[in-house]
Amino acid sequence: MQTLNYRFPAHQVASRAIHIGVVASGDLEILLQPPAAGDPSDSVVIRVRTSVNGFDTVWHDVLERFFTRTPLAGSWELNDFGATPGVVNLRLRQAAEAANGPTS
Amino acid sequence: MTDDTALLAGQTWQELLARHSFIELDALGRATALLDPGSLRVLAGPFDRLESPWLVPQGITPQADDGTVIARGTVDGRPVVIASIEQGFQGGGTGEVSGAKISQALLLAAAESRAGTPTAAVILFETGGVRLQEANLGLNAVAEICSAVLDLRPLAPVIGVVAGTVGSFGGMSIAAGLCTRLIVTPQARIGLNGPAVIEQEGGIDEFDSGDRTLIWAVDGGEQRYATGLADDLVPDDANLLHAALVDAINAGVTVPGRHRSERLDVLASRLAILDPASPQDPRDLRTLWGREYEPVPVPASRRDGTTEKRSEPPTTRGRSWLRALSGDATPEPIIPSVLSATTDTARYLAVVPDPDNRFYRAREGQVGVTESLAIAQAVRSLVEADKDGEHKRAIVAVVDLPSQAYGRNEEMAGLHQAMAVATDAYHAARTAGHPVVAVVVGTALSGGFLTHGLQANQILALDDPGVEIHAMHKAAAARITLRTVDELDELAKTIVPMSYNVEGWAKLGFCDGLLKVENADAPTPHDIETVGAAIAAALERARVGPLNLSTRLDSDAAVTTRHASRAVRDLLARQWNPGP
Repeated sequence: MQTLNYRFPAHQVASRAIHIGVVASGDLEILLQPPAAGDPSDSVVIRVRTSVNGFDTVWHDVLERFFTRTPLAGSWELNDFGATPGVVNLRLRQAAEAANGPTS
Repeated sequence: MTDDTALLAGQTWQELLARHSFIELDALGRATALLDPGSLRVLAGPFDRLESPWLVPQGITPQADDGTVIARGTVDGRPVVIASIEQGFQGGGTGEVSGAKISQALLLAAAESRAGTPTAAVILFETGGVRLQEANLGLNAVAEICSAVLDLRPLAPVIGVVAGTVGSFGGMSIAAGLCTRLIVTPQARIGLNGPAVIEQEGGIDEFDSGDRTLIWAVDGGEQRYATGLADDLVPDDANLLHAALVDAINAGVTVPGRHRSERLDVLASRLAILDPASPQDPRDLRTLWGREYEPVPVPASRRDGTTEKRSEPPTTRGRSWLRALSGDATPEPIIPSVLSATTDTARYLAVVPDPDNRFYRAREGQVGVTESLAIAQAVRSLVEADKDGEHKRAIVAVVDLPSQAYGRNEEMAGLHQAMAVATDAYHAARTAGHPVVAVVVGTALSGGFLTHGLQANQILALDDPGVEIHAMHKAAAARITLRTVDELDELAKTIVPMSYNVEGWAKLGFCDGLLKVENADAPTPHDIETVGAAIAAALERARVGPLNLSTRLDSDAAVTTRHASRAVRDLLARQWNPGP
C-alpha cells in the first residue's frame, strides 16, 4: 500500500460531505468533506491510499486533469483497491455531482 | 444451480427482467432497499472513520466503515437495526471493527427491546468468514456476535438474509444458524467451510472447488431451503426480499425451544441416517430430510452409531487433561470423540480423536457434526438437570482440537447448523447461571474453538509452546492470504491478533489466565493442582461476573489492544438515538 498526497487550487466549494464507492477489487471509495467553517476554501487536499504501489505519476495526472475541470475545494480521501484511471475518474465525477446536486 | 429456471425461483422471465436486483446493490444500497423509505440512519458511518487498525500496518487499504453498514430505521413501521456486510471489501471478512459493529448493534437492540421497544435485527450475511489478517480478534468477534444474536433472539426477531454472491461462510454461518429466520436467494450459498478451503485441506476428491454445480448442490440457497436449513427462498428482487422481511419481522420471536439451533432431536435423527461411507447425492437429502425441520424416522439398525471393532484411541492432551482435572470421575463418551466427566460440582468436556469416527474428516479430534451435537447434548442435559436447583454446576471445556472438520459430508449435513446447536447450548448454560470455563491445553483453532470454548465466561490457557489458538493453521492461512509462512511469522511479531504463540493471544483481552505447567503432555500432580486451582478461581469469577461476554472488552488487556472495539461500542451507544 502506498499513501500519496496532492494539493490543487480550487475556487468552488462542495455543499456537503459525500461518500461514494467501496474498497473492492478494481474499485475505490471516496470521502469528500467540504472545508470547515473558517478554513481556507481555495484548495483541493487529496490523500490517496492505494493497494498498488508505483503509480504516483498516473495518480497525479488523473487527479490534476480532473480537478482542473472540477476545482471543488475540500478534503478528498481516496481508498483504492486497484481501480483503473477510468474508474477513478468515474468515482470522482460521481462524488462531485453528488456534492453539488440536489439533496437526495 | 440445477437448471436454467432455478434462478427464477418462481418468477417469469418478464418479472426477472423488470426486477430491481438486490444482489447488484452494495451494502448501503441493500440496507436502504429493505428499510421503509426515508427511515434509514447510518450509525458509525464512513465519516466516523472507525477503520481497522490492523490493515494499514500490513499494507492493505482499509475502508472507512470497515465494510459493514449499521443502519437504524423501520420495516413496515417496526423499529429495526440492520447490519449489512459489504462483500466487496475483503470478501466480507469479519474483522475486529466490523465484527464489533455487528455485536454491539445487536446488544443495543436487546437493551432497547428490554426497555420496552422491541427492536428487530437484520443481518445481511455476505462473508467469507473471519478476516485472516485480524485472525484471533475476528474469531472472537464472531463468538461475540453469536452470543449477541442469542441475547436478542428471545426479545425481538433476528432475521438473517443471505442473498449472494459471496454467501455466508466461516464462523458467521454459525450466527446465521442462530437466527430466528433465515431468508435466502437461489444465488446464495451457506456453509461453514468454503469449497476452496475444503479442497485445500482434504484434496480435490473431497471437494472439487471448481465444480460450481456441486458447490450449489451442497451450499446453495435452494438446497438449504429444500432441506429446512433456511426458511424463505426468494428470487433476487429487492421488493420480494423486502416483502419476505416484513413477514419475518411481523411473525415476531420464535417460541423458546423451537429454534433450529435448539432442535437437538432433529439434528440427531438427521445425522443418524447419513452414512459418510456411502455418500449421499445432495439432492437425495431433500427427500430424506425434507423441508420441515422435524425429526426424520431412523431405522433401528442406525440408532447405534458405534462400530463393533474399535481402535485404541491415541493419548492426547485433551484426553489426559480431562482425566486429570476431573479427578475421581470416570470420563464417559457421549460419542467416542466427545468425552464427558461429571463431578459433584462440574462437568468436564473434551473433543478427542476417534480413529473409527464414521465421519472420516473428524477422526483427528476435529469438531464435526456429531461432535457438535454431542457437546450440545452434554451441556443441555446438565442445564436440564440443574434447572430447579439453586446451585448451577460448572462446565469446564477442555480444549485441544485441531480445527473443525473440513469435509463435503459435513457441509452437506450443514456443519454450520450443528455448530450453532452447540454454540446455543453453551450460551444457554452461561446465561442460566452455569459458570463456563474453557481451558486450552493444546490447539484451539478456528470454528472448532468457536463451538467448544469461545462461549465461556472465562478462558484459561496453558503457557506452553504446544498451545496454539488461531483462526486457521499457519500453512492454510498463508495460502489463503497469498503469503509465505515466513511472512506470516514476521507479521505476527507486530500484528498481535495474528500471533500464533499463546503469549500474543493472551494480550488480546480475553485471556483470563496463562498457566505455567511442568508437563503439558502428561500433567504432573503439581500441574493438576495449579490448573485445578486456576479453574476454581475462574469459576468463582464467573459466578460473580456478568453473564454476557462484556469482560472481554473491559479487561486490562482489552483496554490496550481492543481499543477499536471499545471505540465502536462507545460510538454506537452515543449514536443509537438521534441527536437533538
